[in-house]
Amino acid sequence: MKRVFRAGVMGVVAAVALSGSALAADYPTKPIEMIVAFAPGGGTDVAARSIASFMEKHLGGGARIAVINKPGAGGEIGWTAVAQAKPDGYTIGFINVPAINALVVEGKAKFKMDDFQPIANLVYDPGVLVVGKNSPYQSVKDLVEAAKAKPGSIAIGTSGAVGSSEHITILNFERLADVKLTHAPFGGTAPVRQAVLGGHIPAATMNLSEALQLSREGEIRVIGVMSEGRSDYLKDAPTFREQGYDVVAGSSRGIAAPKGIPADIVAKLEAAVDKALNDPEYLEAAKKAEIPLHYLASGDYKAFLEKSTADLEATWKVSPWR
Amino acid sequence: MIDALIHALPHVFAPANLLAVVIGSVAGLVVGALPGLTVTTGIAILIPITFGLDPLFALGMMAGMYNAGSYGGAIPAILMRVPGTPASVATILDGYEMTKRGEAAYALQVAVVSGVIGSALSAVALILFAPPLVKVSLLFGPAEYFWLAMLGLATISALLGDDLVKGVTASLIGLLIGTVGQDLTSGTERFTFGSLELMDGFSIVVLLTGLFALPPVFQMAEESIKEGMSAAALKFRKQRSVLREWRYFLPVWLRSSAIGVFIGIMPGAAGSMSSFLAYNDAKRVARSPETFGQGNPEGVAASEAGNGADNAAALIPALSLGIPGSGVAAVILGGLLVHGLRPGPQLFRDHPDVVYGFMLQMLLSAFLLLVVGGLAATRIFGQVLRLPRVVLAPLIILFVAIGVYAVNNAMFDLYILVGVGLVAYVMEKLGYPQAPVVLGLILGPMAESQLRLSLTISQGNPAVLVSSWVSIIIALLTALVLVTPLYRAWRERQRKPAAA
Repeated sequence: MKRVFRAGVMGVVAAVALSGSALAADYPTKPIEMIVAFAPGGGTDVAARSIASFMEKHLGGGARIAVINKPGAGGEIGWTAVAQAKPDGYTIGFINVPAINALVVEGKAKFKMDDFQPIANLVYDPGVLVVGKNSPYQSVKDLVEAAKAKPGSIAIGTSGAVGSSEHITILNFERLADVKLTHAPFGGTAPVRQAVLGGHIPAATMNLSEALQLSREGEIRVIGVMSEGRSDYLKDAPTFREQGYDVVAGSSRGIAAPKGIPADIVAKLEAAVDKALNDPEYLEAAKKAEIPLHYLASGDYKAFLEKSTADLEATWKVSPWR
Repeated sequence: MIDALIHALPHVFAPANLLAVVIGSVAGLVVGALPGLTVTTGIAILIPITFGLDPLFALGMMAGMYNAGSYGGAIPAILMRVPGTPASVATILDGYEMTKRGEAAYALQVAVVSGVIGSALSAVALILFAPPLVKVSLLFGPAEYFWLAMLGLATISALLGDDLVKGVTASLIGLLIGTVGQDLTSGTERFTFGSLELMDGFSIVVLLTGLFALPPVFQMAEESIKEGMSAAALKFRKQRSVLREWRYFLPVWLRSSAIGVFIGIMPGAAGSMSSFLAYNDAKRVARSPETFGQGNPEGVAASEAGNGADNAAALIPALSLGIPGSGVAAVILGGLLVHGLRPGPQLFRDHPDVVYGFMLQMLLSAFLLLVVGGLAATRIFGQVLRLPRVVLAPLIILFVAIGVYAVNNAMFDLYILVGVGLVAYVMEKLGYPQAPVVLGLILGPMAESQLRLSLTISQGNPAVLVSSWVSIIIALLTALVLVTPLYRAWRERQRKPAAA
């Protein structure tokens, strides 16, 4: 009896001692929390909820991922929660570039970019400059010339506030084209789209995926895409580069964990995202919804994050947005 | 379009899809009835579940949840003075007074029938008049929204209550609370005291729940020595038939539904505005406005019809342009995207079965509300009132806390909830009405941000405010609302000396 007891004790001790490494092998043994820094129903939320179910499938072993919305302060609340979570692989979150880097560069965030362990990037959506269908501007050049003739007379609507990524893009554009524009922050995508369609604002910035349908229907005109090359989804729309302005900007959505998470768990999560993104069922749905998928594995994602932070730091030095 | 509608009919009434609407309605009723838990959250949770399912099954659940959830809020509002959703706050004003008189069943019946009428008319507007209504919504830019907010603020007087000074104070408190948060135009943080949680201002759901759901619970705790309502006082048997009194309610229904549809198609106007503005309007035109707030069934009818009419209408700009007219419509858009259905004019061309099917489901779920939310559900929910208050009060607090926590998953919101609840309790004891706080809170920031946007776009030229005929008309209406009482007062004064 005593022996049995002793064996039991030894077993427990061994189990406790091993649990550190056993953790990763069995991972996940409890539900994983996926923090979304925006409200339910937004673009990031829908992306998170749809990938979560496919990640569950490819993590295997009855893995459960719970999407937790922690919206507020332009994402800062949710991202702080990810950065400060226990790095055990049971808290991961969606981060959005360049919004998250901008907060860090301004120096007001409670986290640094080093506080995150990048897992994988999923989506990259280039920015676009659009005008209403009855607008006199056919190209970026038209708009620049009009703005040069009357500095500040052209207002550009954005869905954000002062200091949002779209605002930063406008500042960059102003610097590169040497013009003065007026930033009109609408605070949401719905009102700014309504204002462009109704002709209440001369031009607006949005993401390409948000402009696709309206542009194909001829309700709005995309006068410049902020990507290196033309988009496959909208081949007719010229890029800023083609028109002589080196404006490349867009927003990306990817998954990150707090730094210090075991490397084998990172690998597991990374593999799950990779497999999920190659799942025919998911691909089909993403293609139908025209989601601009852009997979970057952990290492590449890290490099991408570092580059965008460096770019923003350069911008901040020349034209601080606050 | 008729072809598409007829084509979509068999899909809508396919047993599985019919079941989806029923399931959605039942779930919506529960989500709506739980304070703090909103339809937005409910539908967001539905989206991933419906991933591999047939689009009409998924959309059927959403349609059911949308209409039933928006009515569900009225149940605790009428029975316990606890609003289940922000939009049901206006229902409390008369609904709870009716319950106190022992007319709970009648009040719920008025609410459900008015909700059905509002939602159904809204669905009909969605099916028949989507293209022209979208054009109307596009006429509204920042300047027009500014005037709309001013018009709303001008009509606030109907909600002020008996004591003018206290009513005005309450609306000013609302305006003050509305200033909290980051200023979009300059980036300055106002009254946030460095708190991240306050950067977007107070969350309306949290604030409304604190303002309206907690004081009645504290009141219950005060009276906890009392027993629950006796079975006799509850009277859930049919009292009067709303349907037989349709002539009496018809004008309120029509006016409120028109207001609801109008606010619904406006992306820049908050959804909970509809019920308030409809209530305001009903009181303003009523022959005896003083009976509002004292248990006038017309108040319940106006609020619920306005609330229901907001639903399908908010989908009009969402489906045809991809611009959601409300928070719920935004989530439904997300749900459509998951099924590869991209909103826009081509949606109607490429997937007429699904679009018209979904519209019909909105109509169907409106009528289903009569069955699901009718007397049976009312009786079940009504049993809650039989609980002794010692049990009921903590139960409500529990549900409210869970619901409010679920909004942002933040402890901070619970602190705000309790803080606001205590303040509201004191306000109530001192006779300050809470309803004007809400309107100040919703309309103040709207007026401010839209005014600044229009001036930013025009580079400070105030002429932009009267540069369109829509602006001018709404501005004149505002002036009319403000001047009418002055004119009446002046005529009264003219008459008096003559009589003396």
